[in-house]
Amino acid sequence: MMRSADEPTTRELAQRLITYEGSQIDPADGNIYAVGRVCDKLRGPLATLVGPAGFCSLLMRALTLAKRDAPVLSAWEVRPDGSLEGLSDETTQMGAVLIAQLIGLMITFIGESLTLRLLRDVWVDLPDSAAMVERNESE
Amino acid sequence: MKEQNKVKINQLPTGVPGLDEILGGGLPEFSFNIIAGAPGCGKTTLAHQFIFANATVERPALYFTVMGEPALKMLRYQQQFTFFDAAKLNSAVRFINLSQDLIERGLQGVLEEIAKQVEAANPSIVVVDSFRTVLRSEMHEGKEMVVQTFVQQLALLLTSWEATTFLIGEYSETEVRENPVFTVADGLFWLFQQVDRNSVVRKMQIMKLRGQASVPGLHTFRITEDGLQAFSRTLGLVGQRKTFNRVKYLSMGIPALDEMMGGGVPEGDSLLIAGSSGTGKSLMATQFLAAGIRAGEPGIAAVFEERPNEYTARASEFGLDLQTPLANGTLEVIYLRPLDLSVDEMMQEILDAVKRTGAKRLVIDSLAGFEMALAPSFRADFRESLYRMIFALTAVGITILSTLEMPETFTELSFSSYSISFLTDDIIRMRYVEIDGQLRQILMVVKMRRGVHSRDIRQYEITADGIIIGERLKSFVDLVTGIPKPRSGVLRFDE
Repeated sequence: MMRSADEPTTRELAQRLITYEGSQIDPADGNIYAVGRVCDKLRGPLATLVGPAGFCSLLMRALTLAKRDAPVLSAWEVRPDGSLEGLSDETTQMGAVLIAQLIGLMITFIGESLTLRLLRDVWVDLPDSAAMVERNESE
Repeated sequence: MKEQNKVKINQLPTGVPGLDEILGGGLPEFSFNIIAGAPGCGKTTLAHQFIFANATVERPALYFTVMGEPALKMLRYQQQFTFFDAAKLNSAVRFINLSQDLIERGLQGVLEEIAKQVEAANPSIVVVDSFRTVLRSEMHEGKEMVVQTFVQQLALLLTSWEATTFLIGEYSETEVRENPVFTVADGLFWLFQQVDRNSVVRKMQIMKLRGQASVPGLHTFRITEDGLQAFSRTLGLVGQRKTFNRVKYLSMGIPALDEMMGGGVPEGDSLLIAGSSGTGKSLMATQFLAAGIRAGEPGIAAVFEERPNEYTARASEFGLDLQTPLANGTLEVIYLRPLDLSVDEMMQEILDAVKRTGAKRLVIDSLAGFEMALAPSFRADFRESLYRMIFALTAVGITILSTLEMPETFTELSFSSYSISFLTDDIIRMRYVEIDGQLRQILMVVKMRRGVHSRDIRQYEITADGIIIGERLKSFVDLVTGIPKPRSGVLRFDE
């Protein structure tokens, strides 16, 4: 059975979030990676929902699954506070794999509709985010 | 206090069909309530129904989860219910996990976080699930005052912020006296899941509700894809009875029988057709319904032994078209899932169908099937339940025909094996008799509460056109025993 994370739409969404966050980074800020920003933004609402420990568990599971698809992520770890460590310029290109796995886990647990709503609430400025929810609802 | 000086307590709809009536109109606004019960009895679902029915973006519901069911799984399961509105999530309905606060900062940390969230969101509803877990973290010797203080402060905080509150917990009944939260609570909802043989019956009790009169006792409820539905134990016993200015007689669809009954069944009566297997009780009931449809009177058939299509197919074998009225909504055939039914559910189902169809006639075929469909615990007080049901249904003005299978004896004539004849206004008895080496069928009108009826015992036949009633059997005596004797040679007192 195909996992939600492997669906092209999930991967595409993950990539869009990475791209969007990447465009918001000020080069002067130094070692800030788009994948880290996506995770940090998700941490707030997900930790509210499932607690900080619950968010860490989800992210660790997503990272474990992502490492299977992209062994280059082997150095990445989840800190106890739910942030990522071990990121590097070389490996962050594969950040979308992790985000796709995290979104995939959310879809597995609470379904596509609620997941898209949660993401829309976090990325209100992301072009097409509201339309994405509406499309899903109408389907 | 004078009426005009009393504070008016607003009542909020619970979102649970039937529960508002049990509560006496709805849930008192700003009340501090506990939903208690064992795991799996529907506590969380009840709270969710309430929040989705009441929460708005301006006055949202805050649902605090603590150490119990993870919110992700809660959302996974709760979204299966039809009342779950995904559009309200994170706007009108917000889930907040407090586990970390409890682990790191104890009760004070939980209180501070709830206060912070409440002040920020201005919620109309607050739920803490599971509250027992919160208190249990400090429920040990020497900490009683800490717990009591926490409960007091929480109640004060949430009431001051004009929030209606639900604390959910897997409490046992023995805790009611000792746990301070029960003293502080305005409302106490206890949910039970009782196992009797192989069946499970869900019941709820409003053990306490300040400010208004709720209906005491245990009320059954069911959980379906629509969530909880509650059935008040006084369902149908309150309210006005429909009265008729003049007696209108409804045709049975068998002209000779109408004549025997003095014109038919008086509208609003409860008629019992009693007889042994194969005597044509169901056919008579079907003819009664069909006659109503022809007269423009919608009907309902509550059947327990066959499915709706089988029921209409059997009617068509006797030239009765029930398929058309079934399709156009003037007939409803109610087939309820057997074996774990409660009388209240059955009654609610029929009352809802009466509202939908405007039905004037109801057939219950049969009482024995109905009893079998009930959970064992309800069979024990079947008579009482039946009384309540017949009273409730006739109160809305519907005319009821119930069939009852009787064991055939050839020495006596009993009217009802349930001793329920006192519940019915009218009784028709059908039975077999042995005549000339043949098993023939006779019927008699035993009782018509509101009028004069024929005393004749008449033979009848079941034909392709339905029941055809023949002549009075004048040549025999002792017909009611089933073993009649030829009249000749027997001296009767009137001869």
